[in-house]
Amino acid sequence: MYRRFYLILLLISGVVLFAFSILAIVKELNPEWKGYQSEYKKIFIDNAEGPEADVLAKQFDIGHKQIYLKRLKRVDRCMNCHAGVENPFMSEAEVPYRRHSGDYLDKHPVAEFGCTVCHDGQGRATNMKEAHGIEFDTHWDRPVLPFTYIESSCAGCHDAEMLKNNGAIKFAAGEKLFREKGCRGCHKLAGEGGVLGKNLDGIGSRPKHYFSLRYVEGDKTAYAWLREHFVDPAKIVPDSGMKVVLNDEEADLLTVYMLTMKSGEIPKEYRRIMNYPERPVTGEALYRMYCIACHTSGEQTIYDEIFGRTIPAIMNPSFLKSINDRLLTEMIKEGRNGTQMTAWKNDAAGLGDDEIQRIVAYITRNRPEAGPEPFGFTKFSADVRAGRELYKVRCAFCHGETGRGGKGFLGIDLANPVIQGADPEFLAVTVRDGRPGTTMVPFGEKGLKLEAREITDVVAYVRTLSMKE
Amino acid sequence: MKKIIKGNIFIIFALSLMVLAFAIESPARDDDAEYAAMIESGRKVYEVRCLLCHGENGDGNGLAGIIRRAERNGRILEIYPRDLAMGVFRFRTTPTGCLPVDQDIIDIISNGVPRSFMPSYKHLPREDIKAVREYIKTFSFRWEEEEPCEPISVNRPVWAGNPDSVRKGRKIYKEMKCGECHGYTGKGDGPKSNDLKDDQGKQILPFNFTTGNLKRGSSPENVYITFTTGLDGTGMPSYEDSLNEEDRWHLVSYTLQLMKKGE
Repeated sequence: MYRRFYLILLLISGVVLFAFSILAIVKELNPEWKGYQSEYKKIFIDNAEGPEADVLAKQFDIGHKQIYLKRLKRVDRCMNCHAGVENPFMSEAEVPYRRHSGDYLDKHPVAEFGCTVCHDGQGRATNMKEAHGIEFDTHWDRPVLPFTYIESSCAGCHDAEMLKNNGAIKFAAGEKLFREKGCRGCHKLAGEGGVLGKNLDGIGSRPKHYFSLRYVEGDKTAYAWLREHFVDPAKIVPDSGMKVVLNDEEADLLTVYMLTMKSGEIPKEYRRIMNYPERPVTGEALYRMYCIACHTSGEQTIYDEIFGRTIPAIMNPSFLKSINDRLLTEMIKEGRNGTQMTAWKNDAAGLGDDEIQRIVAYITRNRPEAGPEPFGFTKFSADVRAGRELYKVRCAFCHGETGRGGKGFLGIDLANPVIQGADPEFLAVTVRDGRPGTTMVPFGEKGLKLEAREITDVVAYVRTLSMKE
Repeated sequence: MKKIIKGNIFIIFALSLMVLAFAIESPARDDDAEYAAMIESGRKVYEVRCLLCHGENGDGNGLAGIIRRAERNGRILEIYPRDLAMGVFRFRTTPTGCLPVDQDIIDIISNGVPRSFMPSYKHLPREDIKAVREYIKTFSFRWEEEEPCEPISVNRPVWAGNPDSVRKGRKIYKEMKCGECHGYTGKGDGPKSNDLKDDQGKQILPFNFTTGNLKRGSSPENVYITFTTGLDGTGMPSYEDSLNEEDRWHLVSYTLQLMKKGE
């Protein structure tokens, strides 16, 4: 009885094993690429014109193909499926039989350059899923680049100047966006830039697993992450403080540019970089690069929900009237401790002294000629106690009871060293005249009609704010 | 003798009438004086605490001007101080088109509107708040001609916020086309969101449910009252007539979930 049972079990498992072996053999003898190649041969024979081509088409050998690129350290087997990539008769055929578009291959022959150096993807794979590597379960670091972002590969060997005039419009536009949207205000690249955001060095060669792909809606890839986080930063990174939000088109352009930030270098024989990108020279270009993301046009103060504070209007005439170049330079160099303002000096955010000078010159270009009417702070003997009572009623709802401003308050932090160290005359003038363009109203004759003595008292009290907790 | 008495009775009657008339009139005169004093103290408080934003005539053109606030999604909101002279109030417990009841104004003054930087004046003496309230009423003629309506009562059902109610609310959100302004995912980015204007022709943005609290506070009761009363002067209508009470509560459940405050 038992013996018979085991006999049947053995028989069944034998049959199953045999079936699997046959299946494996059949599968190995008919790989995916073989189907593509025989289809390709048929189309080639149909399309071939002239006796020579006919012969070539008939002689096409169905079999495994690969190129080994010693310098690039790559093995590409893409032409197993994309067999017609260099075939002029295949211009009208469908993908994957189709010839490569444009004239790129004239100067970049496949035998010399391969495919993955531009297109990414897994060169060694012999089936489509693994080679393209887009699906998440392939776990391939560098999935094949979609057409939209392909220009990013050009920058590995060519400079921006050359690419601008030779078809890589997206790359050039992305580079311009990067310069003008103020990305470097928060992100450091090659040692220059702020510290609030992530360092961008080598961001284009980060494997997809470096990114948190949980909230990405499109393909689970690095480029999809980049693109989507330009459109809605907080969706992709829930606690993101990124301020610049781009439309869909701009997001694509900037993604192209981001993908050019590669950490490794293409071997010297391949590189054709003639012009290195020029550093921005004018104060305006520098302002756009480093400051504009937060300070925008610099004319109006904006309370920022992410920073939880008001970003000052640094090009406001009344601000410029009351601040001198030395103090402004100092603030840019050292930053504002306790706020999001970065220290921009050379050994922090990487700006040279002359560059900071140019930014200062740009910011102060519209400084009014006439200084403010002097207040004469020393004329009065200040009463701090009376100042405190006035402060509570008149100032506290914007600057906070403690004077530290911050989240939910429109007013700035009055206890910070810059205000505390400022000339009381300057503070009194500000209280008297207010700051047009901001929510600081004039408290003097032109506004809420506080007496000069009262203003003196308030200023005296404000100057004691840093002494308490 | 009889005649004299008769005449006297008449005089006495006339005199007592006069006395009575005085008696009725004089407390009213006291009231007037009291009212004037209240307005005067209201004006003082207003000038110190409210004038710099709401302006001398309560028209919202104060010295502080427009407040700009960058939202999380990068949009910049322009906040105008409320024009009190219009006599149109957003945050009421009374039906749409009505004046708010006294308590509504007191609530706004004492709680503030954190999203628009209207500070909270909880710490002020209650008499001062009342005085300011009366002073505010002098800005608009509406207060002389109309009476506030009866406030709407809010009875929160036990099932508000449960998953079933959220699901029904989502359906109502879709059916009532809330998404046209507030966005199909509640992000305030619906197709009409960029062309909305308030009664004064200033651009306004529909509320983005994913960015935190409503201006008047995000308790379920407050959300319900907003649906029921509408926000007069803005594009937000009242749904008192178009949705029944149960449906409005379903909508509350769904929007609370959008604000991640669902239970």
